[in-house]
Amino acid sequence: MSSQPESHADVRSALQLGIQAAGAYGRPDLAERLDINLNKLGDPNVQVVVIGEFKQGKSSLINALVNAKICPVDDDIATAVPTVLSYGEEKAAVALVTPLEKPDAEPDRRSIAFEQVPAYATELGMADPNVAVKGVEIKLPRKLLQNGLVLVDTPGVGGLGSAHATAALGALSVADAALFVSDASQEFTRAEMDFLTQAMDLCPHVVCIMTKVDFYPAWRRVLEINQGHLARAGIKMPIMPVSSTLRAEAVRRNDRELNKDSGFPDLVKFLTNQIVAEQAARERMRCRQDLLSVCDQLGSQFEAELSALTDPEQAAQLMERLTAAKSRAERLKGQAAKWSTTLNDGVGDLTSDVDFDFRQRMRLITQEADAAIANSDPLDTWSEFEPWLVNRVSNEVVTNYRFLTERAAHLGLEVGNHFEVDGDQLMDDLDIHNPTGVLAKVSVDPTMEIEGPSKGAQGMTVLRGSYSGILMFGMLGSMVGLSLGAIPIGIGLMMGRKSLKDEKARQANQRRAQAKNSLRRYCDEVSFQVSKDSRDTLRRVQRQLRDHYSTRAEEMHVSTTTALQAAAQAVKVGEGERARRVKDIRAELSRIQGMRAKTEAIAATPAGATA
Amino acid sequence: MNELVEQARNLVVDAQSVFTSADDADVLRGSLERLDGPLRVAIAGKVKAGKSTLLNALVGERLAPTDTGECTKVVTWYKDGHTYQVMVHPRDGSPAVQARFHRDEGAIEIDLDGRDAMSIDRLEVTWPSSGLRQLTLVDTPGIDSLTESVSTRAFEFLDPEDNDTPADAVLYLMKHIHSSDLRLLEAFHDDSVASPNPVNAVAVLSRADEIGAGRLDSMASARRIAKRYGQDGRLRRLIQVVVPVAGLLAETAETLTQWEYNSLKQLADFPAAELDPYLLSADRFVEAKPETPLTSLEREQLLARFGLFGVRLSMALLRRKVAESSAELSDELVGRSGLVELQTILTTLFVDRSDVLKARSALLAVERMCNVDPTQEGSQRLLLAIEQIMAGAHPFNELSTMAAIRSGWVSGKPADLGDLERVLGAGGTAPWQRLGLDESAERDAISTMAITELGRFQRLAESPFTVHDLGMAARVGIRSLEALIAANTSVAT
Repeated sequence: MSSQPESHADVRSALQLGIQAAGAYGRPDLAERLDINLNKLGDPNVQVVVIGEFKQGKSSLINALVNAKICPVDDDIATAVPTVLSYGEEKAAVALVTPLEKPDAEPDRRSIAFEQVPAYATELGMADPNVAVKGVEIKLPRKLLQNGLVLVDTPGVGGLGSAHATAALGALSVADAALFVSDASQEFTRAEMDFLTQAMDLCPHVVCIMTKVDFYPAWRRVLEINQGHLARAGIKMPIMPVSSTLRAEAVRRNDRELNKDSGFPDLVKFLTNQIVAEQAARERMRCRQDLLSVCDQLGSQFEAELSALTDPEQAAQLMERLTAAKSRAERLKGQAAKWSTTLNDGVGDLTSDVDFDFRQRMRLITQEADAAIANSDPLDTWSEFEPWLVNRVSNEVVTNYRFLTERAAHLGLEVGNHFEVDGDQLMDDLDIHNPTGVLAKVSVDPTMEIEGPSKGAQGMTVLRGSYSGILMFGMLGSMVGLSLGAIPIGIGLMMGRKSLKDEKARQANQRRAQAKNSLRRYCDEVSFQVSKDSRDTLRRVQRQLRDHYSTRAEEMHVSTTTALQAAAQAVKVGEGERARRVKDIRAELSRIQGMRAKTEAIAATPAGATA
Repeated sequence: MNELVEQARNLVVDAQSVFTSADDADVLRGSLERLDGPLRVAIAGKVKAGKSTLLNALVGERLAPTDTGECTKVVTWYKDGHTYQVMVHPRDGSPAVQARFHRDEGAIEIDLDGRDAMSIDRLEVTWPSSGLRQLTLVDTPGIDSLTESVSTRAFEFLDPEDNDTPADAVLYLMKHIHSSDLRLLEAFHDDSVASPNPVNAVAVLSRADEIGAGRLDSMASARRIAKRYGQDGRLRRLIQVVVPVAGLLAETAETLTQWEYNSLKQLADFPAAELDPYLLSADRFVEAKPETPLTSLEREQLLARFGLFGVRLSMALLRRKVAESSAELSDELVGRSGLVELQTILTTLFVDRSDVLKARSALLAVERMCNVDPTQEGSQRLLLAIEQIMAGAHPFNELSTMAAIRSGWVSGKPADLGDLERVLGAGGTAPWQRLGLDESAERDAISTMAITELGRFQRLAESPFTVHDLGMAARVGIRSLEALIAANTSVAT
């Protein structure tokens, strides 16, 4: 266990020191920034999504992981809603329900008895006929979850090629890791490989869990074949063979050997040592970086005052530079700043590009679908056409969403760059030692392969959590419907096959027209919803980026103003006062230096922990 | 019903004089052979569904090779005959040639002599076997799960009524997937041998023992699931029923050897408390301690043949002395694998009706020929003759009415439609089956029931509130009942 909460003590104390210092030096804005970090550190919330085809043993896997019968396991009935498991001092379960007649309403949280969880989470929906269940949240006192691990069981219903899978991909893009579950009965199917390829793009960590190895004697061969498939597709991903049955049996008998055979110890180790610890490391590095920037800004006023005091001849020049810096900071704050224009223009462009991209995709689908309808009788094909259409549309929605994500991340990077160029110049003007840069340029322990929080990551963080994937699915699935019930035949059933054929052809044409109508309506509705959703998402991105950088600009503005004031004060200080003041400032600076040293000592992994 | 085959034969002979090109002559000669031979049943479904395994179980002999990887690559016919022989039919239409073969652990390994699997139309294995006497079985390579091909195939879905296919009836093997899964119907896209039609297709929920991951009650779960599938509207339009079968267990049970029985017996006699920990997983079973019976190689062999489910089940049967000889064990395992149910269904749905199905196939072949070239002298005459046979023969009317009900062309109360289907012979053509009675039902009971049902459908047919098409369908049912009553009384007198 490398990342118990107390193992962040070093970061915590450094942050508290920083908050105190910022408060003492009259910078509540900086204190606030550090305070947010402090709060986040206590609640890491690492989301791991369990995903896979119908009946591959997802729920059994989770049950075996936390050693409790939570997710319903049945040969036929499947999990129907996402089940979220997290740490709690006491067992508790909450169902998110909405009244049947108002499925889009904000769900109510309803406490339910633990035994009722299966009734709420399965597709039977037998718990309460008056409500639709949207999800189930469970708290469990388990050591595994204590580090902030959150397990999400997803419904495998509908197969990987369906709209459900698209919702799952949406969920993936906001998760920290995914366990892809596939059983040992046969090698990866085409759908599974396609899903994996897409998932790798969306989620930082995807691991394949091969279940039911106790039951299939040939699992080693299947494993080998699967590794071959992954290698050919260029996917680097470990496959972990596990057996939930053996694990449950091992726990029942308290049999260490059997537990080892089940493959679960490796999985637990992977989750805690890699997923959770990595997330913690990323969090630590973010704190470190923010602290360093606070040190810089706190130090700047004293540095300025000190140079004004020690070198009075240069004072006038210094004042000039500081004034210039101040007005630059003001500009950085304002609407006309380059980063701000980049942001506003970029979001505008992006909105229209994304919209165009989507419309083009939908047009292609409509053409394909029209051709398909023209070549077949909807009576025969509709039952397959409908899922095909939903699937095709949802695939395009996801591709479009990925396009949006990539472009938005790129925009975030660009805005960050502009800001940094101006910000760096500002710091140069301040003539202040700036070892880390106000923004990025993070020095990370080179042995750790962790991506430092870059400017681009800011954009991504905004996007995470903004996608309403689950909501999107509900919309995608529910609208196609075409009634093709029994159609009375005018001419007798057995009276001559030729006339029957003519009648059938006439009806088929009617059905085709009906099907095309239904298709149009569906595509229209989807386009409407999706373009609204992506516009909202982009607006959120814009707002968050703007808030982020204008806060930074405001901080810099305060820093330059304070520095300017301090220097101006220093010029007026009398000879006798000067020596005392220099001494004071040196003391303050060394205090800040101490804080910086403490901050720089923060490594990605907590001291004394084994990686 | 032989009369029907006779009519079909006459028609084909007539057609031979109309269509004289070499290709057409071949097809027609094939049709004649087909009328005289046993019913052809194809086993279709997706890759790795267990088609070859099920074929072996049905024959009761290990003929088709099986493997963990994809195995069957060419359509292979297994038919009864006097000699052991394998013929290769090339795709380019050149004459069939004999191929060499040898048997590997029972399975027939055919030496293709360097021929590309793609260049072969089909392999024909002639094998003297009682299991093949009533049915000629066709093993297929199975369709791929390539998603793109499926999405396009969805639109090529054939009109299930009028197609001439090489097989008279089809078993579709499907795995357990969710009913909202896009790929639920994938198994039925295998139109290389037959197009799905509720009159001649049955679905098999294969690998049923895997559903409960080897628990002893797996088959009960599988039965429940199969029943639910059987009620799914989309499947009902394609098939008659869904039957769960544990293919591997069935195959092994049908071909159980004395050595296997002895080995299992040895294991079962070993103290249960010591053996059971090794039955927890396949790995543990193979790597069991040396003091347990058998070598690990032998245990691996057992596992390959029985699967973990089969081993566990055999242990339970032998320990509880339900089975005390290899023959008894074989019977028990066959019974529990679901194979018996499948065989019963094959008999009632296919074998008992084989004349109708065969005649139907022959008529469809001729009809297609006429439609391809309607200007050909005599083709209109043939079409008329087909029309006459089809309309005149009551069994055909039964079949097409059943198909119409299943396809949703007839509107009515589900209970009425269900009973009507039964009367038409959807569950078998014996009187007790048509009337939904017990097999042991007396003649009197049958006749009472038949008269009650007859009255019911007559009222339904004549009621002014009955929609036209339901009335037509009910009249077909009435005729079936009248025939049934007539046969019943003639036996009585």
